[in-house]
Amino acid sequence: MGRILFRFSAAVSMLFALTAAGFAQGAATAPKDIVIANNANFVSLDPQDTNDNISFSAEKAIYQGLLGFDKDMKLVGVLATDWVASPNAKKFTFHLRKGVSFQDGTPFDAAAVKVNIDRLADPANKLKRHSLFDQVEKTVVDNEYTVSVYLKAPFGAMLNNFSHPGAMMISPKALQDYGKDIFKHPVGTGPYLFKDWVTGDHLTLVKNPNYWGGPVNYNSITFRSIPEDGTRVAMLQSGEADFIYPVPTEQLQVLAGQGGIVVKHDPTVGIQYASMNTMKKPFTDIRVRQALNYAVDKDAFIKVVFNGIAGTATSCLAPNTRFYSPQTPYPYDPAKAKKLLAEAGYPNGFETTLWVGTMSVSIKAAQFLQQQLAMVGVNMKIESLESGTMANKIWNVADPKDATIQMYYGSWTPSTADADWGMRPILGGTMIPPKGYNTAYFQNKEVNADIQAGLDSADVATRKAAYEKAQKTIWNEAPWIFLSVPQNIYAYKDSLQDVNLLPDGTLSVYSLN
Amino acid sequence: MLKFLGRRLLGLIPILFFVSVLIFLFVHLIPGDPARLLAGADASYSDIAAVRSRLGLDKPILAQYLSYVSNMFHGNLGTSFRTGRPVVSEIGDRFMPTLLLTLVSMLWSFIVALVVGVISTIKKDKWQDYTVRFGALSGISLPSFWLGLMLMQLFSVQLHWLPTVGFNSWKGIILPSLTLGSGIAAVLARFTRASLQEVLQEDYTRTARAKGLAYNLVIWKHALRNALIPVVTMAGLQFGYLLGGSVVVETVFSWPGEGRLLIDSVGFRDYPVIQGEMLLFALEFILINVLVDILYAVLNPQIRLE
Repeated sequence: MGRILFRFSAAVSMLFALTAAGFAQGAATAPKDIVIANNANFVSLDPQDTNDNISFSAEKAIYQGLLGFDKDMKLVGVLATDWVASPNAKKFTFHLRKGVSFQDGTPFDAAAVKVNIDRLADPANKLKRHSLFDQVEKTVVDNEYTVSVYLKAPFGAMLNNFSHPGAMMISPKALQDYGKDIFKHPVGTGPYLFKDWVTGDHLTLVKNPNYWGGPVNYNSITFRSIPEDGTRVAMLQSGEADFIYPVPTEQLQVLAGQGGIVVKHDPTVGIQYASMNTMKKPFTDIRVRQALNYAVDKDAFIKVVFNGIAGTATSCLAPNTRFYSPQTPYPYDPAKAKKLLAEAGYPNGFETTLWVGTMSVSIKAAQFLQQQLAMVGVNMKIESLESGTMANKIWNVADPKDATIQMYYGSWTPSTADADWGMRPILGGTMIPPKGYNTAYFQNKEVNADIQAGLDSADVATRKAAYEKAQKTIWNEAPWIFLSVPQNIYAYKDSLQDVNLLPDGTLSVYSLN
Repeated sequence: MLKFLGRRLLGLIPILFFVSVLIFLFVHLIPGDPARLLAGADASYSDIAAVRSRLGLDKPILAQYLSYVSNMFHGNLGTSFRTGRPVVSEIGDRFMPTLLLTLVSMLWSFIVALVVGVISTIKKDKWQDYTVRFGALSGISLPSFWLGLMLMQLFSVQLHWLPTVGFNSWKGIILPSLTLGSGIAAVLARFTRASLQEVLQEDYTRTARAKGLAYNLVIWKHALRNALIPVVTMAGLQFGYLLGGSVVVETVFSWPGEGRLLIDSVGFRDYPVIQGEMLLFALEFILINVLVDILYAVLNPQIRLE
């Protein structure tokens, strides 16, 4: 009863507090305080234990890594000034920036880096980003500002793992003080300090007065979780938000042409595809798979499904991915598709089923494909599955022979923006379900060897050659209908500077240069 | 009265226990692997395995059930799979916003419904009655997400009177409670009108009129009180639903309440939070039913609480 009474009195006093706060807010609207509205809740503020882009977006304002991505996904040094990778891709040495401190005053040095890499590499910590560092054998402090990381096996894509937001550096003192609660007491080296976080409502960061990189743009940044698309748009229109994302394509017209508002869209590192189970008939035949690529008009697909806001897929990787190499597109040619199908022994087409999620845009995509394939005689049924059910149907299959998947509409966004993570999990031979996301059950010796060659070397030229070869083979083998490259759509007040949505889907609130 | 309360509250324990078992079974029957959903879209196999073992989902279901029950008896509802915070604080943080929104919405809609229902009865089949009936039908039929977004366009974007969202100022509660309450006001107004008209046919109201009492006095003092019983029942039900959090209104206005928490948790198969939410809803419904029973006795002394 005491508790209930307490709750009630808390409610009453909150009402009064809210009233007061309402007036205070109206009075003080400094232009240096910005509001960013996104579509989901923050989950964690421990970057090493994070896997959602919303959380990474706030974390990237608080923390920094040895390396990072600039707004074009180019790898740049942040807390490391330069770095050397051994040719066999097993040893990575970093020279650290001097004169940097964490927000709690702890100096940033090689010992601090070791604490962080050790934390990530230890499987006992069960961190969500452990797999970025599961190949680490040991981390050695060479001197105060030099640190070397040794791997158990060669891993050519390791530098991209170091640039991943999951590899950002946490204050060793804070890690010790807060232990498991570090996710709500973040302390990094970045330009913004954590102020408060009300789950489901907002998260506020304030300027770090001692930031090593010089003056900071904004006094405060408030992130608000606004799940409803229309509400985010209304917030930008009414001036309550300075930056909103994502903007659904249907709302573009509403915002475009409004004074003081900028609407932008640019390509992500993602790729959208319809995979075909290459171990099951009729998709065992390369001619069938190529025929389906000829049967779909990708430009029309993009117009119909994404209101024209997407790029055409020109490889199994998106152009912003490291080591992307463009291929010759499959033109829209239903006659050729029919001819190939006839050659493969399906002059009258065949029946198949496509699995798709429940998002309306995905279903629209599936329906478009259905209509296109019908033109060449392929009768494709659509099965729309809730995410949990879909996961069970795909990954609760131990033996590829038992797989019931035929076609699958999906997308893939490699968070490391490197060719390895762009290809291996979805097209690598070791990654067929339940191990990975290779829903095409694509097993190609050459591709597997090229992917391995790319991993075994840190030499850029060697890796480039390997991935170019792999992309060529995959394009020709056509385990997917290669569809489109999705775009990030966002809108902001034109007075806003240096807030960018990166191709990997995370937000950057300051310039890394 | 006290005996009645004591018995009803004691009866809570077996019901809640039964509910908790049902919830556990249901939640684990939903297809989908929380570890895979939590590990994220591009998680590796080892990431997923790590998440599964951290959540204790690699243990047999019976072991999971036993630890759930024993934790529950210690008042521990577990920790959220998704955020790692205790379920009690996850749910607790969302309780006040939902309660606040529910109370404000219920309060205005109940008062409006009574006044409007009475007017509509007094002016039966006149223009006032038609207006009320038209308004009530609209209130019931308008989808709340549409109403919410329209109110927002008008009052926030065009007029700049009220914030679009915002739990942090008193102005922020106006639009969500208008949206949430309009449907309820409409339902309750129709109930009030129907029930009042029925009561006015009864002998005792005719007697009251016959002995010379003013029509308004008969309605407000004698008839309305008796007419309230079905209205209170309906209001109690609505109150229970609202305490569960209105998913649509909370989503449109980004209100940090229980409804959004539940939807997010179902999306991620956050078993402990779903279980906690369901237990809370069950508890709230039972308590509201007790409250409604007590209100019956207050409204009509002939009803005994036995």
